[in-house]
Amino acid sequence: MQNFQPEEVIVERGSEASPIYRNLQRSLPDVRFRVVDDIASANGSGDFGSAKKKLYLAKHKGEFFKKCPGSEGQVCCNYFVINFASNCPMDCSYCYLQEYLADNAALKVFSNVGDLIDEADATLKKHRGLFFRIGTGEITDSLALEPFTGMVREILPYFAQQPNVLLELKTKSDCVDGLLDLDPKGRVVVGWSMNPQRVIDADEHGTASLTERLNAAKRVQEGGYRLGFHFDPMIEYPGWEVDYAAMLDQTFATIDWRKLSWVSLGVLRDTPGLKRTMRERFPRSQLLTGEQVVCPDGKLRYFQPLRVDMYRKMVGWIRRAAPTVKIYLCMESREVWQQVFGFAPSCEKELGNQFADFGF
Amino acid sequence: MALAELALALKLGDNQLRDFMDWCEEIALRDGVTMAALLMGKELDNIATDPRLGRADRVKKIKEWLRRLRFPRLAQTEDEVHGKIRALKLQPEIRLSVPPGLEGGRLEIHFSVTNQEDFKRLAKKLSAAADSGASGEIFALLGGAASSNESA
Repeated sequence: MQNFQPEEVIVERGSEASPIYRNLQRSLPDVRFRVVDDIASANGSGDFGSAKKKLYLAKHKGEFFKKCPGSEGQVCCNYFVINFASNCPMDCSYCYLQEYLADNAALKVFSNVGDLIDEADATLKKHRGLFFRIGTGEITDSLALEPFTGMVREILPYFAQQPNVLLELKTKSDCVDGLLDLDPKGRVVVGWSMNPQRVIDADEHGTASLTERLNAAKRVQEGGYRLGFHFDPMIEYPGWEVDYAAMLDQTFATIDWRKLSWVSLGVLRDTPGLKRTMRERFPRSQLLTGEQVVCPDGKLRYFQPLRVDMYRKMVGWIRRAAPTVKIYLCMESREVWQQVFGFAPSCEKELGNQFADFGF
Repeated sequence: MALAELALALKLGDNQLRDFMDWCEEIALRDGVTMAALLMGKELDNIATDPRLGRADRVKKIKEWLRRLRFPRLAQTEDEVHGKIRALKLQPEIRLSVPPGLEGGRLEIHFSVTNQEDFKRLAKKLSAAADSGASGEIFALLGGAASSNESA
């Protein structure tokens, strides 16, 4: 994985008491720290790429704990998200944050960890009868900044003690060293976003290689963590079948699939606006050339017969190696579920309950 | 023919021009050809200079030509589905259609009747069509079965 070192850490005044500030100072001794009164005025006007070079530490003023918005009209997997950071040091050419964070691209970590835990605690205690599958990788990579921020080390012990939670840390990194001496108590899933090395080389800039991801997965599995794999976004290109089948072979030869919590599948999704940004930032990316059509939710996906064929092949290869592993589709319609699996969840509650079963 | 020349000749609007440019760029990137080479082709020239076509029909034909180049497998699957729909010989009394881009995987069926006898007759035709191999092949194509000419 490409080493990340911010050019500067810009700290909003008042965040110096945060444990994250302490962790950053310890892990980045050679980097300049600048304390400012107003983080908004310190935000550079640089483009999305250059925004990743500075790291901001600031108090998060909104809600930390939210329901995943999903995608309109698609089957929902009843996921909740906690955003402890915004943007990511890696730079995938298809990343939807290029559009989602276009006006607020600063690479930001939130300092008020106590507020995050208080907010989660209020909801989790109030609804002990509900099962919460919570992810931290919606608008950042859950682990890429962990060697510097130690954020997961700060929050994991709390979530590991909650009886109605599975916390998922979703990543394309191999930054797991800080997790290995913690006890996840069976409540933490480390989920890797996976692609063949060819796709990683072409479009997942600065991320860990496939082998690095798998080695990290093996290490956390041995450390008592549950694993998830997200084969998402799947990319279609001439010869994709050979690469994806080989990636699955390598995956299941490295980890114990019986301890996998779930596997998700999703194809490349973008929007006309994101595609325009991709065209500007990564004009040679072959991702731009896929046979995508606009779906009812406004997202572009490979046309349905093509992507259903991709899903069916992937499900077949996965089942061959891991016959009973739980597989779901991310942001797909009921029709596609039906065509791939022969069934579709009747409602999001049904899928959410299945996840509760997956986890325990 | 340069894109600017084509755009001027066809009086393309901003959105149309942007679609044309995006598709041309994407085809050129995928196939490793220059946009100039793409636009110098004989097929495009034939459409652009066809004296039988008015401006609107010319734009429509060029757009369809470009769409087929940009989305060759989608176009092929659509062609196959439409071919199998024709083979059912239900049209024009019963009209079968699939959504644009084949999204949704649905076959839509439209017919109207004014009396019970016609209703029975068309229902019988539909029932026979539903039992035929062609209708099974339509759903197989919509459900991701590789089209017949697709290379392995």
